[in-house]
Amino acid sequence: MWIIIAAIAVPVLFIIIMYNSLVGKKNKVNNTFASIDVMLKKRYDLIPNLVAAVKNYMKHEKSTLTEITELRAKAISPNISDEEKVDLDNKITGALGGIMVAVENYPDLKANQNFLQLQGAINEVEEQISAARRAYNATVTDYNNAVEMFPTNIMASMMKYKQKPFFAIPETERANVNVNQLFE
Amino acid sequence: MKTIEDLQKFYNEELIKDLEVLETKRKKTLSTVFAVLLPLLAVIAVVMLFFSDKGSNALIFIVVIAIAVIFLIFSLLTRGYVSTFKDTVIHKIVEFIDPNLSYNKSNYVTSSEFMNSGIFLREPDRYKGEDYVRGILDKTNIEFSEINAEYETRDNKGRKSYHTIFKGLFFIADFNKDFKGRTLVLPDTAEKLFKGLGKMLQSWNISRPELIKLEDPEFEKHFAVYGTDQIEARYILSTSLMKRICDFREKSRKKLALSFVNSRLYIALTTNKNMLEPRLFRTLLNFKLVQEYFEDLKLAVDIVEDLNLNRRIWSKQ
Repeated sequence: MWIIIAAIAVPVLFIIIMYNSLVGKKNKVNNTFASIDVMLKKRYDLIPNLVAAVKNYMKHEKSTLTEITELRAKAISPNISDEEKVDLDNKITGALGGIMVAVENYPDLKANQNFLQLQGAINEVEEQISAARRAYNATVTDYNNAVEMFPTNIMASMMKYKQKPFFAIPETERANVNVNQLFE
Repeated sequence: MKTIEDLQKFYNEELIKDLEVLETKRKKTLSTVFAVLLPLLAVIAVVMLFFSDKGSNALIFIVVIAIAVIFLIFSLLTRGYVSTFKDTVIHKIVEFIDPNLSYNKSNYVTSSEFMNSGIFLREPDRYKGEDYVRGILDKTNIEFSEINAEYETRDNKGRKSYHTIFKGLFFIADFNKDFKGRTLVLPDTAEKLFKGLGKMLQSWNISRPELIKLEDPEFEKHFAVYGTDQIEARYILSTSLMKRICDFREKSRKKLALSFVNSRLYIALTTNKNMLEPRLFRTLLNFKLVQEYFEDLKLAVDIVEDLNLNRRIWSKQ
């Protein structure tokens, strides 16, 4: 009698544990993806301040400034897909990098206390965005391992869970790291 | 940055004078020690002979008492010498390394700071320390000292004994980024022993915050990271800082634990050596000896540069 109960209870228990751990992992992935959004939003909030701070100094970069303002407007508009978002985000990263390099030509601007604070805030947000992406990739690894590895893969295929893609770091951003080092 | 050549020059031009004075003091102290301890040893030997027929328990008791007395007398006799040595030589070496640093031989990092770090879970019952250094290096506030923290146990007969929680160098610095949570970087013992299974054991460690898996395999091999916030931990432990911590571990060749709490960095470096002590039985007039003090101090002071703490490009200034 007990043996029959155990023979039913143990597999059921295993299934519950596997099911819950998979759901937990999936939610963690969604959660960290959302936190990247939060960090990106922080960056979008800083862009108008940056543009306001530099526009009186930067005479030759007017087009870059309008470009970044437009990109930001697009990025915060409500109905864009995730792919578009990532694409816009990469473009903003490039434009921001461009502005930060151009700053080198304006000694007055580099001495401006407000600007320096802003620059610090932007560097911080960039680092936080990168941290959020790394956190996202770590949770995706965890999730993908569970989806692919035995025995959770059986459960995952029944739940129709598929592998999720990593957040690739775009070429422009890799270059950006070097740009930041100019300000050391 | 002071180099060995600078130190050699400093040794030849300045330190040697103090060392010569201390060398005389050392010889004097040594002869006093012999003059007091030799007759004492003779007395102990006689007492032991006298009690030799009273059984081994009595003998053990005498030996224990004798060792305690010898240690006490020894430290009393050498106290003045050690103190003068630290006030002159170590003090000067600290100031030579950086004039913004100050040295206090008997002070130490407080036990509340020690517990604040969160590296150690057990509250110490006996907490001692010495050789305290503090100062501001460019933009970074630092302090460090030697610490010996122990907890007490009693056996069923009520006898006390002490066990080490931590012995070594405890270092605190102001960190260059702001953060709210707690991130711990602890030496990875479980993973070294059990490989893959170690990861699982680590994630079940309920006395610590959540396990954080980082992407640097070299770093993951040596450390286990726990933190209250997955993203914040990665914000603190940037790829470059992980590399720097690995390099520092290699350089120090010591068991290393770090924690990041309240925008501060805590580092616990385990050593068995009692650092910055003068020697009594051999001459002080030796550059190698001075170099050793210099290097012990530099290891701590250079953390600021090794971990790039003066890089203030974020909003925290």
